[in-house]
Amino acid sequence: MSGGADAIRLSPEDNVATVLRPVSAGEDIQVRCGVEVTTLAAADAIPMCHKISLLPIKEGHMVIKYGQSIGEVRAAVGPGRHVHVHNLRSARARAAP
Amino acid sequence: MPGGGGMATFLGFRRADGQVGVRNHLLVLSAGGLTGQTARRVGAALAGAVVVVLPHGSGLVGRDLAVQRRAIAGLATHPNVGACVLLGDNPAVMAQAAADIAPGRRPYECLTLDDCGHDGLALTDRAVRAGARLLRQISRERRSAEPVSALGIGLECGRSDPSSGLVANPLLGLAADWLIDEGGWAVLGETLEWLGAEHLLAGRARTPEAAAAIEGAVLERERIAVAAGLDLLGSNPGPTNIAAGLSTIEEKSLGSIAKSGSRPIEGLLEYGETPRHPGLWTMDASAYAPESLTGFVVSGAQLLLFTTGVGNPYVSALSPTIKLSANPDTCRTLADQLDFDASSVFSGRESLAEAGEALCRRVVAVASGEATWGEITREGDEVLSRFGQAL
Repeated sequence: MSGGADAIRLSPEDNVATVLRPVSAGEDIQVRCGVEVTTLAAADAIPMCHKISLLPIKEGHMVIKYGQSIGEVRAAVGPGRHVHVHNLRSARARAAP
Repeated sequence: MPGGGGMATFLGFRRADGQVGVRNHLLVLSAGGLTGQTARRVGAALAGAVVVVLPHGSGLVGRDLAVQRRAIAGLATHPNVGACVLLGDNPAVMAQAAADIAPGRRPYECLTLDDCGHDGLALTDRAVRAGARLLRQISRERRSAEPVSALGIGLECGRSDPSSGLVANPLLGLAADWLIDEGGWAVLGETLEWLGAEHLLAGRARTPEAAAAIEGAVLERERIAVAAGLDLLGSNPGPTNIAAGLSTIEEKSLGSIAKSGSRPIEGLLEYGETPRHPGLWTMDASAYAPESLTGFVVSGAQLLLFTTGVGNPYVSALSPTIKLSANPDTCRTLADQLDFDASSVFSGRESLAEAGEALCRRVVAVASGEATWGEITREGDEVLSRFGQAL
């Protein structure tokens, strides 16, 4: 799966990748998508199996993993950031306004 | 097929009704809570007996009553059950159960408190003796080569992390595809964990009715959560999932449905309902593993495949449950919980396809008698879902 990379982008449409080992802030990591590998600077420390943003994501825009929406960001996120419950929320099962 | 060439087979117990078991259990089944402790005493007295206690009984109505009846018959005549001692406290329920069990042509004995002067100790004595005779009888049965098309498997994940969606669940999908192509069946449950991915499942449905049923079942679960004022964050994904890196129900669901592989979906089963023909099915059920696994078992699944991210000891009592993980830390720390280590795929030492073939070989081995850790450590239980109040 990793093929030597530090993170995996499951689909070319994805704007996040999953890190396959703990990543330190400021580290350059290799992100694999199929056979293609790119380099990304991690802006945050990211625990193993957590998500890192690959692109800038605007407030209210969807986070894409598996080529599908997994929710929306609550505030703008730059590349290389840890994407998790502090800045991402489900777009489903919300109480009626 | 792993091993290659010709029809895949395993060594199973062919039953009089044509079903094929992967185990030859004596089941001690309590059809209510009044005889639960008697069933446990009986099980403790008999080597290898499996005890299942359905803790509810009198006063069940509607869907609960229908599910209870389905469960009693489905468990007593499960393919993995060679014979059953059925204990209860209601002669009318027992008469109904006996009529439901008869077509399964499986040896059984029904005993009620009424037969024994309402004395739990007297019932224990009669049930131990009846169970002993049945155990001797089923000990004469032998395994024979049977096609894997006779198998049904339940697909489960529990205490998931992102390695589940990346590796472990796609591996189950490969095993499900293989079994379905061989002519068997597989079932995906945990309805809430389709939320956010239901369009992908519906898109694989064989009929428009099946697609609508899948989407409707998900919307109903979402409605229940919203009506309860529940924020799914913290309940599903739960705290363990969140700590491991899953952020939303959509993310968890997209990983979860990878267990279903890629074949068309025949339809949506009710809780514990038996598939009408081979292929891939969905079951509308709770996402909590104990309830979910028992739904698969009542439907007749002889084997269960259960992925985990951080570890989960739970297994079925009646159907061997193959536990697997792709998380390298979990595979190292829980080596005597996990039956299949898929961490080599996570770390890039093996391809998903290679591990998928190895998993199919393990399915055949366990179906043929190889013990799972959960069987060895007696971790198994059965827990039936409840839907409403009793009278």
